[in-house]
Amino acid sequence: MKLIEALEMLREETSEGARPFRVSLVCSFTPSHLQTFVHANLKRALPDRRIEVTPGLYGDFWGNLSRLEQENPDAGVVVMEWSDLDPRLGLRSLGDWSPGALDDILRNARSRSAQFQEAVQRIGRVIPLAISFPTLPLPPVAFTPQWRASAFELALRAEVSAMSLRAAPARGAAVVNAQNLDQLSPLASRFDAKSELNSGFPYKLPHASAVASLLSRLVQPPAPKKGLVTDLDDTVWSGILGEVGLDGVSWDLEHHSHMHAVYQKMLYALSEAGVLLGVASKNDTKLAEEALLRRDMILPRKAVFPVEANWGPKSESVRKILKSWNVGEDAIVFVDDSPMELAEVQAAYPQVTCLLFPKEDPQSIDELLYRLRDLFGKSALSEEDAIRRDSLIRAQEKDMNAGERGEVSEEFLRAAGAEITLNFAKEPLDPRALELVNKTNQFNLNGRRYAEKEWLDFVMDPGTVLLVVSYKDKYGPLGKIAVLAGRLENRTLSVDVWVMSCRAFSRRIEHRCLEELFERFGLEEIILKFAATPKNGPTRDFLMEILGEELATPCRISHTLFTSKRRETFQQVLELANG
Amino acid sequence: MVDTQVRLERCFAAALPTLSAAQIANASPASVAAWDSVASVTLFALVEEEFGVEIEVQDMQELLSFENLLGYLRRKTGESAA
Repeated sequence: MKLIEALEMLREETSEGARPFRVSLVCSFTPSHLQTFVHANLKRALPDRRIEVTPGLYGDFWGNLSRLEQENPDAGVVVMEWSDLDPRLGLRSLGDWSPGALDDILRNARSRSAQFQEAVQRIGRVIPLAISFPTLPLPPVAFTPQWRASAFELALRAEVSAMSLRAAPARGAAVVNAQNLDQLSPLASRFDAKSELNSGFPYKLPHASAVASLLSRLVQPPAPKKGLVTDLDDTVWSGILGEVGLDGVSWDLEHHSHMHAVYQKMLYALSEAGVLLGVASKNDTKLAEEALLRRDMILPRKAVFPVEANWGPKSESVRKILKSWNVGEDAIVFVDDSPMELAEVQAAYPQVTCLLFPKEDPQSIDELLYRLRDLFGKSALSEEDAIRRDSLIRAQEKDMNAGERGEVSEEFLRAAGAEITLNFAKEPLDPRALELVNKTNQFNLNGRRYAEKEWLDFVMDPGTVLLVVSYKDKYGPLGKIAVLAGRLENRTLSVDVWVMSCRAFSRRIEHRCLEELFERFGLEEIILKFAATPKNGPTRDFLMEILGEELATPCRISHTLFTSKRRETFQQVLELANG
Repeated sequence: MVDTQVRLERCFAAALPTLSAAQIANASPASVAAWDSVASVTLFALVEEEFGVEIEVQDMQELLSFENLLGYLRRKTGESAA
């Protein structure tokens, strides 16, 4: 992003009544254009929020860091530079660079490093932190020539690496990936000596833009895609299966088709990280299945579901896969070596991310793999990631038992041996709860998304009831599949948040949740803050089933009404903890 | 090709967003209350980015008006005033 684009973006009106999103910028240099870029990037990522970026005091990194808790922003953006570890590492300080001073600089840096670790662990518990460790070239402090690594510089860098290593897994903390920054902003083009001396801002504009872009993604990560649909011929393998036969397709060095093997390796890694993998291929069904079962495939057959190999349009295969996965088109990526096939799918599904597999160009395939990592990347893996694919396959089997209305028979539900676990505990706060709230579309009470800090404040309020529901039956576990949160007053529960994974539909879990809440809290009424969204039809249908009318906002369900309308449920209920 | 004046007007509008198009043409720190040191730093950064020039620190004081900056850039780019 150029500075002029960022400034023009800041001039665009924010919608009236937009909730503020407050960010504290912690650095010791003049925040200047970095503040502008952070603001613009967050405005783009959070168009419904009014972004406020507040810098701290010039020259006071450690004071600014310690004041974060008092300021209590929605997020802290922390940009450390070498001079924050010891002022002598900055151009503006005239402190000693003589060989005798180096040990003292290192001692200071180590002491600051320990101070930083303590601060991150303390602050990260209550305020999400996005951290950038020193990105500028080290000044020529050491006595060695530039081409020779000095023990002093190596020790300093080791200290910063150790600091990153301790901060990255800390609760609430996220650290800029130095390798990604290196790709975006070459080291030699980062430092602006003139600007540093003239105004106290040490970054060249493209570097400030790159740092701000990565920090903003840490503050507000883009939603990871859920599924990848891939072509087979000249994509998963080299060659056209129908022309060269089962033994003619390849993915190895000998046939100069090794990058297809690397692509398979990436697909398998994504699958094991919870990404859904499907195939849309113009092929003979039986032959494609045989090829996918070849023993030397890097991508095992079990990692792929479903396989749509036929001679129909690819968009039709994508439609079937979307239905199987029960996800929106904006949640998937389609990879094919044919620009025509990509265009055909894109025309039918404008929100699908369509990517060309550049079969003739290993360098471009390498770049594609990085792109896939970004599209599907997440900060941590959950139990649900490990069981998603298998639970989908089981859901398909369940659907085969469904009647004409898509209803599962009572006999099937009764025999499923279902067990739901209700967890009302807030400590430790389960990160999966916020993940579900922010990615669930169909069974979602009102579509509201929460920033991490906002969620923490809402849930940890003593008046808030939080319920996280897990499910399993004799076909296997679905993991944590529903979250409900609201405020309890007297004998009324006002529900602000209620989401349920689409994998858990048709099991009457929503009925069971309300039933348990009425009973557990002796409720007379549950008020559901429903708002229609373009995607939450299943929530509306459920509420209309209970309320039997056009929905008012909020929806009020009395105990009497619920008792008369609720459907029989068959799950055994376990309760984990008291909230 | 967008000419130097139009591009410079865009820089001024970004650095000093309260100015109208008419005010930009006569803008200087003396005539614009919002033109403080931060606005100057932003304006010079915008101009350097937009025109790919490096403005020397010692030249900055003299260039603190729309008219002077426009003249400077025209000399740099070889564009005539007409």
